[in-house]
Amino acid sequence: MPATSPADRDELNRLLQRTAEEDQRAFEELYRRTSSRLFGVCVRLMGDREEAEEVLQEAFVTVWKRARSFDAKLSSALTWLVTVARNKAIDRLRQRPDLRPVEVDWETLVDDGPGPAHGAESDEEYRHLQACLAELETQQRRSIREAFFGGATYNELAERAKVPLGTMKSWIRRGLLQLRACLNP
Amino acid sequence: MNSTFESDKDNLRYAEYALGLLDADARAAVAREVETSPEAAAAVALWQRHVTPLALEITDIAPPAHVWAGIRRRLAFDAGTPSRESSRPRTSVWDSLGLWRWIGVGATAVAACLLVITMTRQLPPPVAMHPSVLMVSTIAGDNGVAGWTATMDIDRSELLVVPASPAAVASDRNTELWLIPAGGAPISVGVFPPGDPKRFHLAKALLDRLGPTAALAVSLEPVGGSPTGQPTGPVIAKGAIRAA
Repeated sequence: MPATSPADRDELNRLLQRTAEEDQRAFEELYRRTSSRLFGVCVRLMGDREEAEEVLQEAFVTVWKRARSFDAKLSSALTWLVTVARNKAIDRLRQRPDLRPVEVDWETLVDDGPGPAHGAESDEEYRHLQACLAELETQQRRSIREAFFGGATYNELAERAKVPLGTMKSWIRRGLLQLRACLNP
Repeated sequence: MNSTFESDKDNLRYAEYALGLLDADARAAVAREVETSPEAAAAVALWQRHVTPLALEITDIAPPAHVWAGIRRRLAFDAGTPSRESSRPRTSVWDSLGLWRWIGVGATAVAACLLVITMTRQLPPPVAMHPSVLMVSTIAGDNGVAGWTATMDIDRSELLVVPASPAAVASDRNTELWLIPAGGAPISVGVFPPGDPKRFHLAKALLDRLGPTAALAVSLEPVGGSPTGQPTGPVIAKGAIRAA
């Protein structure tokens, strides 16, 4: 997904706040502007278009009902929306163990570059995160990225990487602590 | 220090929740904490802010038009009353009714009916306004000049095309209007005279696919319209559909 300009961010925040006031037009505009981004996230996590459509619907129904809980001091509207969609997708993956999270190829996913993100490099938060991820050991970085994109549990990640569960937990937890130190200096 | 260790452990759980690593029970536990503890909510939100930029690496995919229709249906927008307004009072009517019966306040059938009537009367009146019933589209050429404007009235299942500055069209060609759902193949709306207003009746199948992610386009076709059901000539103008 392309990065958002500060003006876009303000506009999305405003639309989400108006959605919280039950403004259906603002909600529709919010959908128009963000549904492709959220659908991309859902498809990536679910690995199945139909499931992703269902998740996207649930996500936007939740957006309408819970827009009042959005707090612009805690996050941007886009982060909040992506989070709602990811949470719906991950909840569904947990409820339906038959829907295996997408198998991601360890070698192609990741480790160095920002991948195919158009314009992601221009997003300051993304650059900061990328710089901090670059300081991690390869396995830590891979596992964290795999967790984010695949919505997999520790068990599933350990299975895929063919390492003991304890090893996977330790990679990710040490990576997260290091990441936190780097992101909140 | 133990407290630091404990708070690190909590903080790691929040990070694991934000990444999506936790199993169903552990996820539910964090979700409850977020509801009840402002500190937990702030810590989870901070982690979400940290990791969500990774989503920038995911390619956008336009969802099909029926997804939006499904959202509107689930929220009962087309019934005129947003479900957030309508569901809550109704639930409380039934809750109260059940309670009445349970505690045996002599809720005879008549009393129960009166209760329903009384409480129903306190419901907000149905909103008569349908905010998205009118949709519009400016159908413009590559040069940005608007060729036509279209107005869609969902209640009446009608679409009205009005010429703005339509391109000149050779006499052996017809202009044909298409509805293009996001990610879907064009659906013919019909042939229209480029220089005059034209009213179309929209079939249910077309109505279902109208939405903020759909677009309209005009192509040049042989007289009588495309013989194949898909545009065969050049697309001379197009425009996104939006709420009026």
